[in-house]
Amino acid sequence: MASSKASRLGEEVWKTRMDKVNAELVVLTYGTIVAQLCKDFDSDYVEVNKQLDKMGYNIGLRLIEDYLAKSNTVRRCSNFRETAEMIAKVGFKIFLNITPTITNWTSDGKQFSLVFDENPFADFVELPDDGRAQDELWYSNILCGVLRGALEMVQMQVEAHFVSDVLRGNDTTEMRVSLIRYIDDELPPEDD
Amino acid sequence: MSYHFAIIGTQDNPLFEYEFGTSKQGGDGQARFSEQAHHLNQFVLHSSLDIVEEVQWTNGQLYLKVIDKFFTNYISCFITAGNVKFLLLHQPTATATAPGGGGSSTTTRSSTSVGANPTSPQTEEAIKNFFAEVYDNYVKAVMSPFYRVNMEIRSPVFRQRVAAAGRKYL
Amino acid sequence: MVVYSFYIFDRHTECIYAKTWLPPTSSSESHAPGGPTTTLRPASADDAKLIFGTVFSLRNMVRKLGGDDDAFVSYRTAHYKLHFYETASSLRLVMLTDTATLSMRNVLHQIYINLWVEYVVKNPLSPVEHKGGVGVRNELFELGLDQFIGGLM
Repeated sequence: MASSKASRLGEEVWKTRMDKVNAELVVLTYGTIVAQLCKDFDSDYVEVNKQLDKMGYNIGLRLIEDYLAKSNTVRRCSNFRETAEMIAKVGFKIFLNITPTITNWTSDGKQFSLVFDENPFADFVELPDDGRAQDELWYSNILCGVLRGALEMVQMQVEAHFVSDVLRGNDTTEMRVSLIRYIDDELPPEDD
Repeated sequence: MSYHFAIIGTQDNPLFEYEFGTSKQGGDGQARFSEQAHHLNQFVLHSSLDIVEEVQWTNGQLYLKVIDKFFTNYISCFITAGNVKFLLLHQPTATATAPGGGGSSTTTRSSTSVGANPTSPQTEEAIKNFFAEVYDNYVKAVMSPFYRVNMEIRSPVFRQRVAAAGRKYL
Repeated sequence: MVVYSFYIFDRHTECIYAKTWLPPTSSSESHAPGGPTTTLRPASADDAKLIFGTVFSLRNMVRKLGGDDDAFVSYRTAHYKLHFYETASSLRLVMLTDTATLSMRNVLHQIYINLWVEYVVKNPLSPVEHKGGVGVRNELFELGLDQFIGGLM
């Protein structure tokens, strides 16, 4: 029930409040960033993944505010499952117009996978055929950083990484998200 | 009918090459060029670039049809707005025309003409369709962020799609 | 309706924005020793700390009593009313008005959505963390806030 509510919210915000931008512009802009990073770091894909994650993190720190404002969220999610629903059905919906599937929950409810049926960043993309990119580069790694940054702002420390990508020839594109801990409120410094 | 397809970059540098044969009328899709012809074809295509440069300004079309002929080799050209040339060398062979007479349906007849007469409207149309489909896929290939201008197109996906377009129209 | 002052605190409990709309006369009153008008002094850094301490404790207390979903909204004294709004990203907005003012929760929400997110968060040159209020005091935000508050009064 909560899940259909999230879908409706995502749909409504996407339709009424979001500014739209040409998809090819996004593809080309993001592609240029990744390609340039690969060039700058001499195809050190591990480092490229790291940089993408860092960029995403900085985006996430800001994007969460826009998310909260657009979705009119006032209340914290009551558990991590609800958080997952909101990420997939509201967050991804309103910013990228996709709804990844949530699967593979661990029994403690602290880890889940997002499976992307479509990935607007990856249209037209073919990874460099240098024999390493297929095994080392996570092309859409920026998304992991975005989730990490955004959730940190709402007091959840998470770890996110891709475990498969259709660009690498896998059957699906799957991201694994694990909750590390809830961050406590920061206390004001003691008065001198 | 055998085909030699090439994409030429803006610096007259080859970006992509593919040889194939007709798939119509029971063709097996294999090129039937003689041993020496492989290299000769490249020369023929290269020399036709001069003519492309003459013809390209005479009409505003992307598809320039047959622009050159060297003995039995006909060369059709399609030029993109970015001045990248698609060249298709087609060489009718005796085997392609001989058994064609039996078919009565329209598809067989039109494909007969594709094989038999390199300058017939049907052939022009078929090659036009082939070019259009390749162009479509070419745009997708160059949209890949890891592709740079005038770089050789190494994508296996693109090669497959060109092959598919060849099977479909030629 | 009169708005006296407005504060923003970030998730690190730091006061990153403060603004007062006090009439100039009130500064003379501040010298009245022990008078009831002490809160009408011009805002100072200590005020911000005091206010944060107050709302933070109240908010925690409210949650303890009413459950995690309960929210502290406002309190009223004989002389002013304090309105509190906290976003899910731990940004706290506080507004002091006269006692007759109705709930300003919506107003604070609007300030967050239309001014904070639009002009501060979405400004690519503004830093993510606003240590010492860096990046908050930009022209669009100030202007927007003045107009918005002016429109209410």
